[in-house]
Amino acid sequence: MIQIMNWLSMGIGLIPLNRQQSQSNFGLDYAMMLIMPCLYLAAYFGINLFERYGLPYLDACNSVCRLSNNLFMHLGAFLYVTITLLSLYRRKQFFVEFEAHLAEIDVYIQKCRRVAEMDKLRAQVVKHKVAYHFTWLFIFSVFVFALYYDSKHLYDTFGEYAIIPFMVSSFPYLAGSIIQGEFIYHVSVISNRFEQINSLFEKINKEARNRRAPLTIFDIESEGKKQEVKVTSGEKAAATKALFSNDPKLADEMKRQKAQLPKHDDEEELNTSEEDDDDIFDYNDAIVCENTDNTSEANLPDLFKLHDKILALSVITNGEFGPQCVPYMAACFVVTIFGIFLETKVNFMVSGKSYLLDYMTYLYVIWSLTTMIVAYIVLRLCCNTNNHSKQSAMIVHEIMQKKPAFMLSNDLFYNKMKSFTLQFLHWEGYFQFNGIGLFALDYTFIFSTVSAATSYLIVLLQFDMTSILRSEGLLT
Amino acid sequence: MSQSMPSVKPLLLQFQQLFALSKFVGVLPQDLTQFRTKNVLEKSRNGMFYMIGLLIIYVVLYIWLIIAFGEDDPAVKASQSTLTFVIGLFLTHIGLIMMATDQITALFNQGQLGDLYERLRVVDERLYREQCLVDNSYIAKRIRVMIIMTVIFELFILVSTYIKLVDYTQWLSLLWIVSVVPTFVNTLDKIWFAVSLYALKERFEAINSSLEDLVTEHEKHKAFLARDDDGNDTAGNQTADSSESQPPQYDANLEYLYKELGGIDIGSLRGSGSKSRNRVAPIAHSLNSFGERIPRKPHQINPNQMMNMAHESELSNATKVEEKLNNLCQVHDEICEIGKAMNGLWSYPILSLMAYGFLIFTAQLYFLYCATRSQSIPPLFRSAKDPLITVIILVYTSGKCIYLIYLSWKTSLASKRTGISLHKCGVVADDNLIYEIVNHLSLKLLNHSVDFSACGFFTLDMETLYGVSGGITSYLIILIQFNLAAQQAKEALQSFNSFNETAGLVGSATEFFNTSSTLYNLETTTMMTPSNY
Repeated sequence: MIQIMNWLSMGIGLIPLNRQQSQSNFGLDYAMMLIMPCLYLAAYFGINLFERYGLPYLDACNSVCRLSNNLFMHLGAFLYVTITLLSLYRRKQFFVEFEAHLAEIDVYIQKCRRVAEMDKLRAQVVKHKVAYHFTWLFIFSVFVFALYYDSKHLYDTFGEYAIIPFMVSSFPYLAGSIIQGEFIYHVSVISNRFEQINSLFEKINKEARNRRAPLTIFDIESEGKKQEVKVTSGEKAAATKALFSNDPKLADEMKRQKAQLPKHDDEEELNTSEEDDDDIFDYNDAIVCENTDNTSEANLPDLFKLHDKILALSVITNGEFGPQCVPYMAACFVVTIFGIFLETKVNFMVSGKSYLLDYMTYLYVIWSLTTMIVAYIVLRLCCNTNNHSKQSAMIVHEIMQKKPAFMLSNDLFYNKMKSFTLQFLHWEGYFQFNGIGLFALDYTFIFSTVSAATSYLIVLLQFDMTSILRSEGLLT
Repeated sequence: MSQSMPSVKPLLLQFQQLFALSKFVGVLPQDLTQFRTKNVLEKSRNGMFYMIGLLIIYVVLYIWLIIAFGEDDPAVKASQSTLTFVIGLFLTHIGLIMMATDQITALFNQGQLGDLYERLRVVDERLYREQCLVDNSYIAKRIRVMIIMTVIFELFILVSTYIKLVDYTQWLSLLWIVSVVPTFVNTLDKIWFAVSLYALKERFEAINSSLEDLVTEHEKHKAFLARDDDGNDTAGNQTADSSESQPPQYDANLEYLYKELGGIDIGSLRGSGSKSRNRVAPIAHSLNSFGERIPRKPHQINPNQMMNMAHESELSNATKVEEKLNNLCQVHDEICEIGKAMNGLWSYPILSLMAYGFLIFTAQLYFLYCATRSQSIPPLFRSAKDPLITVIILVYTSGKCIYLIYLSWKTSLASKRTGISLHKCGVVADDNLIYEIVNHLSLKLLNHSVDFSACGFFTLDMETLYGVSGGITSYLIILIQFNLAAQQAKEALQSFNSFNETAGLVGSATEFFNTSSTLYNLETTTMMTPSNY
């Protein structure tokens, strides 16, 4: 699905060809991105200067139709020109950079998953796919319907020249929606990474819960069995466990941490880091601490780093796509308001009288629906991503509250987690998905738009259209 | 240390042209010769009198302008609707109010403004000691570009309006030149604010980038360690261990000490007004506690020396990092304080500017609408008769407001960014001690953030802009609706009157005028309405 969208956006010149390779033919990559705007501008100025092939210049078009068509056309021009300029400004660097960051993050996640032994867990992802495909299918059908409706009517009116008015009526909105689709794709990728991190955090959390019980009750046997099943570190005897008291040596712990860090990076084989530090432990001291099966808490620093990196990535993504959200949301807002206005004040009274007028009002309604769906998905995904990133902090707090065994030993983990949650507070103040700061891209935006739309509608609905309609001969 | 001093040039050095211009126009009262020679803003009695005189002259001229153009033809006043008249009456004076606010605040703040830049200079010196270099040379260019843009906009608006829309056969029409004075004075004042804000933003970004540099350096260092063999590793382990076992108590004391020192430092620097004393204080301080910091810079640049790299990453040494982080946070606090002080100094001018921007934007669009319906509009808004001039005016006014809002938003974001960068240091070092330092400082940073506001009425960020743009649109729609309703009422009245007139009941001269003009209105509105809808 993503592939189809990418081809489409390459096809209509919104993202460069070969966007992932940094070295490729410059001219070939950007040819489409220049040709399409030129075609569009030719159509736009052709219609406006030569006054042909445009709906407003037909005899059948009355004043209401002309006004609404002009508004639709100029709004589309505003949308398309701003979006194309921003796309041209973005160029290829962003995609290359994004992929590089993502690859780096994935490597980290893979490493963490290996440490946490979560390689096999895939079922969750598959279940996710159904809703995902359904959404895609729905959106595609909506778009196909909108485009079909517009092109059919234009073909009926203009014959083979229908492509020219089509360029100025539906095309800009299509282009804007596809750019938002790109945004959706990038945000969903980010959101997915957050989910993976959260599952890793959740794993640590669960382990903390499991490990707490044997420690307090000193249930030696079950713990021993558990360890025997786990082959990762079989040399730990269950008996030594009992010997272990709750006041381990601070210096030892610190040593362990220190040794673990440099080691951690260069292990490419399937060895878990835990084995390594256990080795060091044995080397230094004979006493075995309880973290024989806490394979995943060693992930914490990596996870914190990952969280930070993903947030940095979302800042980049938002910086690229946020500005393009603003004209899109504005266009969506205006089209929706005028769609409602035309539907209630014109179409409700005089539907079926004029073919072109009906076409215009339905075009407004259709495009307001499609843009609204796309806008909603953007908002929903951004909100979800925000929530996912927030959830990590929540889980970390939960882990802190449970006081798992690895935290009792020293302050390091406590400080680490505290640092992470504090950093998240800073992030919260600093970043949220937004359109150049004008509005936050979450559900509050829907509320503010709806309230604004209501007040505009109240004012707009007071316009008295009956006299105008009567003067056009539509109303008797 | 001695050669470090000349490299920290005061920020005000970049303000030379701007100051000369604003002194001449009467935006700032400070002493010109002092500024030329020593780059400081000092109080000046003569400047104050000059400025008050200019202010009075401006006000008198402007009021004269209002009267002269207001009485252009009494017919305009009679024919325009009450709505237009009241809006016009209010809005012709708001430019004057804005200018007066700017100048009076500048008079009141003339002492504090100098202190502000002095504090900024001290911050620069401290930043230099932490090896964050702030490049001020762009600021001069920025100022020049802004002044040129202002002059171009003002001249275009003035000349085009004068040629196209003012009757320049009379000598009194030369008075129209006065109409640009308020906006010009205001823009100069705002350039001061904007550039200072930009400088603050640069400082924040310098802090952030130096923190990020620490992180990348440490990552390189860790990569180097990772490539090393085990023997080296254990050695490094031991050294790290030994350094870790000692510091805690030592550091806790040290932190206190630094805080004390820092506090004294800031206080003494802030208190001293003269420049020579200021120069002494930081040197003494730096020699005491940070003496060894400067020379370390050169070999950090060289990443090829792998053997040195192992010891070089500052983050592996907790005590030194603590010094650095503490200092950076103190500088951050100080910049935040400067930002707040600056916001306080300019709070009333900014409030008046925002009010002006909002009202003028709405009014200009409304009068543009009125002009397209060939209704009469207030004489001082005659520029609304021409769409191109209107667009230029709108771009100019909104550009001024939006740029300020955008800059303060960006500055506040940059100040928030520091906390994140600080934590990155902690995460990358992954050391208990550093975590403690970072957590402590991060809480401090969390409480210290700059949010710029206009007198506390609203914060200057982009969300306000979103709200304001929504407000402008809805007011515009409401105004246009009222205008339509008034026109319709007038039409009805006129048709009734003309009916009476033909019956020969009423026939005075003034009313004749009324009817003819409104008949014209009636005609145009009926002509225009269908084409629009």
